[in-house]
Formats: sequence, structure tokens, C-alpha cells
Amino acid sequence: MAYTLKINEQLVEVDAASDTPLLWVLRDHLGLTGSKYGCGSGYCGSCTVHMDGSAVRSCQLPISSLDGRAITTIESLDKQHPQLIGAWVRENVAQCGYCQAGQLMSAAALLNASAHPTDQEIDAAMTGNICRCGTYVRIRSAIHHAAAERTSTGASE
Amino acid sequence: MNAIANLSPDFSRRGFLGVSGVLVLGACLPSRGMLGQEHQASPFEPNLLLAISSDGTVRVTCHRSEMGQGIRTAIAQVVADELDADWARVEVAQAPGDVKYGDQNTDGSISILLNYERLRTAGASARLMLRQAAAKRWAVDVEDVRAVHHEVIDADGKRRLGYGELATDAALLPVPIGAPLKSEAEHRYIGKPVVHVDAEAITRGQSHFGADCSLPNMATAIIVRCPWLGGGVRAIRNKPSNAPGLVAIEILPPAPSAGPLFAPLGGVAVVAEDTWTAIKIARSLEIEWTNSPNHGFNSKALQESLREAVMKPGTPVPGSGKGDVDAVFAKGGNEVSAIYETPFLAHAPMEPPVAIADVSEKGAFVRAPLQDPQSARGLIASYLGMALEKVEVTLTLLGGAFGRKSKPDFALEAVELSKRLARPVRVQWLREDDIRHDYYHAPSVQHHRAIIDNQGMPQAWLQRTAFPSITTVFAAQAQAPAPFELEQGFSNLPYAVDHQRMESTGIRPGVRVGWLRSVCNVFHGFSANVFADEMAAAAGRDAIEHRLAMLPTGGKLNQPGMPAPAGHELDFARLREVIERVRKLSQWQRPRPEGVGLGFAVHQSFRSYVATVLEASMVNGRPHISNAYVVLDCGTYVNPDSCIAQMQGAVVFGLSLALHGSIDMEDGAVVQSNFHDYPVLRIAEAPATKVELVPAQGRLPAGVGEPGVPPVAPALVNALFAASGVRYRSLPVTA
Repeated sequence: MAYTLKINEQLVEVDAASDTPLLWVLRDHLGLTGSKYGCGSGYCGSCTVHMDGSAVRSCQLPISSLDGRAITTIESLDKQHPQLIGAWVRENVAQCGYCQAGQLMSAAALLNASAHPTDQEIDAAMTGNICRCGTYVRIRSAIHHAAAERTSTGASE
Repeated sequence: MNAIANLSPDFSRRGFLGVSGVLVLGACLPSRGMLGQEHQASPFEPNLLLAISSDGTVRVTCHRSEMGQGIRTAIAQVVADELDADWARVEVAQAPGDVKYGDQNTDGSISILLNYERLRTAGASARLMLRQAAAKRWAVDVEDVRAVHHEVIDADGKRRLGYGELATDAALLPVPIGAPLKSEAEHRYIGKPVVHVDAEAITRGQSHFGADCSLPNMATAIIVRCPWLGGGVRAIRNKPSNAPGLVAIEILPPAPSAGPLFAPLGGVAVVAEDTWTAIKIARSLEIEWTNSPNHGFNSKALQESLREAVMKPGTPVPGSGKGDVDAVFAKGGNEVSAIYETPFLAHAPMEPPVAIADVSEKGAFVRAPLQDPQSARGLIASYLGMALEKVEVTLTLLGGAFGRKSKPDFALEAVELSKRLARPVRVQWLREDDIRHDYYHAPSVQHHRAIIDNQGMPQAWLQRTAFPSITTVFAAQAQAPAPFELEQGFSNLPYAVDHQRMESTGIRPGVRVGWLRSVCNVFHGFSANVFADEMAAAAGRDAIEHRLAMLPTGGKLNQPGMPAPAGHELDFARLREVIERVRKLSQWQRPRPEGVGLGFAVHQSFRSYVATVLEASMVNGRPHISNAYVVLDCGTYVNPDSCIAQMQGAVVFGLSLALHGSIDMEDGAVVQSNFHDYPVLRIAEAPATKVELVPAQGRLPAGVGEPGVPPVAPALVNALFAASGVRYRSLPVTA
């Protein structure tokens, strides 16, 4: 069945079964491989994208539920959150890197909602994103740095 | 030739893939600075690991697998340093599996140790050749020209030539022997923190892992495997004959219980045009499986057998008997005795196993996240009965591995399916497949028994260990733990005891076991460190004071069983130093609030020394870890920031197994299936972590990826004892 989706500010046509999760639409049908498969059940957060600005698990969203929704993936995160990308690189957060797209999308949604999150707020917002390499302490640090930079550049105003 | 093809010339020669195939593959090459950089073919390639093109781009070829430890960066740092290259003009290519690179088995935390001198020599030789080329052109003595930061400069500093400008001339020179290496003080990148070369691409979602590459006309396979090892397909009750997107349903024969090496498990492969179609059909299948001896396997029964084993004499480690343990025990005294238990664990890297294969009569091409592409290549060639030269195994980044991806069974699955279907196939493991069909970290039981004096010093110490050996995967008759497993924290117990004996027992499991980050050091480091803490507590002594008192003040450990490699014997002074440093780093003597305890553990593994202190308390009946302090002596280190990251990650990995990890088998089938019932640590549980590196430049390099893990679980158990008075002797801690 054909669907029209809004992905990263672009309208795209996808022909897929109605129960196809957004994750596989992105990866198999659109070639946007930045969002990762980690568990298929919403436990790990590796597939996190934004739907209308909120962090969601793309493995849990069938294509049939996306009508009229705006989806943002890691591939275009730098347009809204260049500070987050910069802090992530400078802090050398990633180890293997597989979960990091999901981590970044969750972190971006957090900063959209809270300009200066505390460690507790970070832990609460990021608890759905597993990192098996254990980069958590750097994730906290990078979010703080990005928040500070967004304020100083006026990006979060 | 575009930059992408140039980075991996082998791809461009793969005619059977066609032009579009090259581009797709090229796009998958994880490489620094590959986007938008066109440069000439490399005229100057003094060795396998380094090439300089005429535009000055330095290409370092990494022949070890990148799984987050930062090896692609570290290898480039070493080469670029001795070359005195401009870091901004260094890019990293990834080597395929090929014996010409030497050892490629990225395992055992050994990449830098194996390659450090070789990489330095590669850079230094090229640097000398660039100087020789410039000296020749200027008709001056080579001693009168310097190579500094991507330029060769003459004695007056007036004439300068960039490395790129000299590359063609240098390529004509013979590779020198004995090129001068830099001194410590001259190092520009070695020993300095450097952001990983893949950090930017990863952060922008542009890097490529196993599932991120595609080949033209590629299909995706999901394989339903028998719940118990060795079962085959008797019948598929509801095999769909035709479904949209379905390519084929293929029955794969079951693997034998042991050997041939890393054989696929078999099962029913659902091959479809897209992943979701394959998943849906795979989940809908009702399959009847044949029986196998492993169908009756029960992990609880195995654990009981391991417990029984350590209550009886085992096989002594050769040469481990000192004094007369039995006589001291018979005489009696203040006896401390304890049993420690650890369960099966799954690796659960965030990227489940995945592989792409394209097999035809012309050859086999495999692209996958593998820890050892070279041995995988050999296994694939022999599996197909194909000449080695016709098999190409290339790597993506590994989305975590922790030992799982040193076993290329998933690549063999892709090879088999591609061969049958005569088209490229990607085999994607689901998380459930990963948790239920792993090469599991072995469960274990240790029994420690000692007679201590009033200072807690052991007069006699008997230690027994029992666990299923990794060798059971390789041979149907194997049972006893191997010396290399006992050498991991058991036969190399460093404490001075007059009367001592070490015994081991192995029991065959009904599942595949395999090495997981730190391997047997995980459970041996756990039991020995908790037992030492128990001896200190029994004598009412400070744990660190007691530990230092148990250690010789200097010299090297002469360990029974498998000896340490020459130059890497356990050095008591270095062990003491990490203990002293972590005492200071953690402010060990500073009183903590009521209910908050400190726990200490120290362990030498992979030739490195790690001491860890955790600060923990019980909050709402669950352990809460507030702070972690880690000191690492890994000898010479290349990238201190990577070392710190590995210690931070090791705390998280160690706490995952200490607090959550347990895999159980009932009737041969694994009970757990995904992160809801095999949880790993989440961010809220991760403590603030301070890491200190022992300045040890000039010493032999040692391991970094694994040695941070073993001290974590015992430090936690010891901290919880200090906090609550309760001693947890089984992992995971179930408070």
C-alpha cells in the first residue's frame, strides 16, 4: 500500500505493508540507515526518532499511523541541534557508536523540553536508551555542554 | 578514480559486482575524511599499513576490528606520530581479512601490544624515505633535512617540500631498515587524547555497521533456530507457498554439538525482499524440531553439578601445590570458607549479529562486523570448498562485540543462503536470536577455604573452580578447563601463602560457550577479591591494608600452570601501585555517611593492572552505586582518552553483570529473550566515575578493552557488605 510520509522536511512516497514499522521503512525503503535496530520491542532506544518533536521508538510505529506526522531522524538532527552534535564529538562520547543515533535523538528531545536539564532529568529522559559500551557518564556530560552552548548562542531561546 | 574506490582498490577489481556494487560498497567504507576528497592513486606505499598520495593524504590501513575500543584511531596515532604527519590529513582505511596483514584476531586486548613497534616502524621508515627523497632532490645530506609536520625542511629552513610532493620520489627508494624512532618527548600523538576518527560520522548517523550496507538485488533472511542445540527441522506445519515479498524458505541442517569450528546452528531461513516481511513470516511459522541430546539441558542442574564439584577434590593446577594445606586444615584454627557463583551470560552487543554475503561461482564476497575477518575468510573458503583467493571478507564497524563477533557463524549462514539462492543475502539476527543462541559466557562456582591468623593473613588457602570450558565448543570430548582459562585469575592468584592448592573441574554444558569481555577473569576475579575481603573482615582489618599486607613487596609472580609471557609476569610493585593510587583517588579513609560503604578490588588481566573502588548503598532494597574510582596501569598507552572511556565502560559492563545478568536454560531452551528479561545497565544506574592512568610510557603496552571489568563486581559486593553487613556471594546480586 502506498503512503506519503514527511521525513526530515521532505514528503516521500513509500509502498509498504500497513504494519511495517517506521524503522524498517527508514532503513529498507528509504535508505536512511542512521536509525538502528536493537531490540524490535521498544526496550533499547537504538531506533529513536522524533515524531512532531517528541522522541519515539520507530520500531513500534506502523507506517499506517504516520499520516500527517512530521518525522525527524538522526540524518537531519544537525539542523536543529548542531551544539549537541558538536558536544558529542568533542566529548568523544561514542564507543562502538551503534546506539548513539538513538541517544542523540532522545537528548535532543530532552533539550527541546528542558533547556538546562539536571543529571536527574537527564537520567529520566535517557533511561529508555541502552548503551552496552557504557558511555553514560559522557552522555550526561555532553548534554550539559550542549545545553550551555545553546544558551550562549541563543539557540534555545 | 574517485576517493572511495581509491580507499579500497580491491573493490574496484571486483568486476562481478558491477559498477553500482562498487559504489554501494564504497559508500560503506568507514573512513575519515572520505567525503568530497578526490586524490590521486597512491604512488608511495612503503608497507601494507601506510600510503601517501601525491596530494599529501596519508592513508593508514587498520587491520584490526573496530568495536568501540578506538583501535582505528590508535593505530593511526602511532603511524602518524612516527611519520610526523598532520593529523588533519590522515585518513583510515579498513583492511579486509588477509594473512598478509599478520594477526587480525581482535580479541584478548592485544592489538597495541602486538603492533606497537611495527606501527612505529612503518611511520618512521616512511618519514626517513621522505627525507631521503628531499635530500636527493636538493643534493644535500639526509642528515641535513628534517621531516616535521607533513613537510621536509632543509638545514636553513628555507627550502620546504610537502609529503605529497615527495611521495612519488620516495616510492622509488628501497624501504630502509632501522629508521630512527622518536623519543618519548618527541611524540606528537602517542600518549595524547585524540577524538576517535569515526566520532563525527557516528554522531551524524553516517557511519556503517553490519546492517547498513546493501548490494544490488540483495534479499534479507531471518532464521528461526531450534530452541535447543543440535535439533533439526522435522516439519513446518504452515509453510506459506506464496506471500508478497517472500523469496524463499530454506531449511538449514543443524550444527553438531561441537565442531566443526563455528558451524551455523541451522534452522528455517525466511528470505524476503525486505526485513519486515521476513520477520513477520518467520514469527508466524510453526515448526516441529527433532530431538538432540541437548534438549534435556537445564542450567539449574548444571549449577548444582558445579556446586557439587567444588566440594570434592578437582584436578590440581600443575605445580600449584605449596606446603601442606591439608595438615594446616586438620590442625584447625580461624577458618574462612565460602562458595561463589556466577551464571551464564549473553554478550548482547547493541548490534545483533548480521552479515552480508554474495556467493557465485566466481567467488564469495562477505561484508560483516567480525572480530577476525582473516579466520572467517579461511572458514568460509573451506565451508564452500573454494580457493582462499576467491573469498573476500571485508569489515564494517562492529556495533559492539565483547567476544561474540569472534565467532563468524552468522557470516557462514549468509554464505550458505547466498549460494543457494544465487543472489546477495543479508542475514539479520533479531535480538531474540542473539539472546537465545549466543556463545554464552560460562557459569561457574568457586570454593575458597583458608585458615587465617589474627591479622587475616592466610596460613593455608585452598581454591577450587568449576565451569564449562570454552574448549567444549571445539571438541566433543573436551571437558577440563584449559590452562589458558585457569591463567585468568585463578592459577595466577598473587597473594603470598605458605600452604596453597588450586584445583579445577570442568563439566560439559548443553549450549555453546564462548569468551566474553575478560572471560574467566570475570568469575575468578570476583571470587578471589570477595574472599580476600572476607578474610580482612573476619580479622576486623581495613580491606586495603590487609590486601597490601598479603602481597609481596616486590618481584614477579612465579605462577603455576600456564606461565605468563616473558616480560609480562605479574609485577607486585605495579599491583601495589594501582592499589595505593585508588586508595588516594577514592579518598578511602574519608568517612562516608551511615549506610554508604566502600568496596575495593584489584585484578591483573591482559597484562594490565586495575584497582577499583565503588561507593554503594542499599536504596529501597536495591543496590545504588554513587561513585566509581578506577586506576589503570596498562603500560604504554596510545590514547589516554580511549583508556579512560574503556574504564568508564567497564564499570557499566561490570555492573550489568553484577546487578542484572543471568541466562537460564530449561529443556535446552534459553528462558530469556530480550532486554526486558535480560536487562543491562541503564543510565540512571551508572555511577559518576573517576579514572586515573598510571604514567607508564616506555613500559610494554598491555590490554585496555577488557581488564577494567573483573574488579567491578567484587568491588560492588564488598561495598554492599561495608554498607549493609550483608555478603552477596552469587551474581547477579539479588537483594
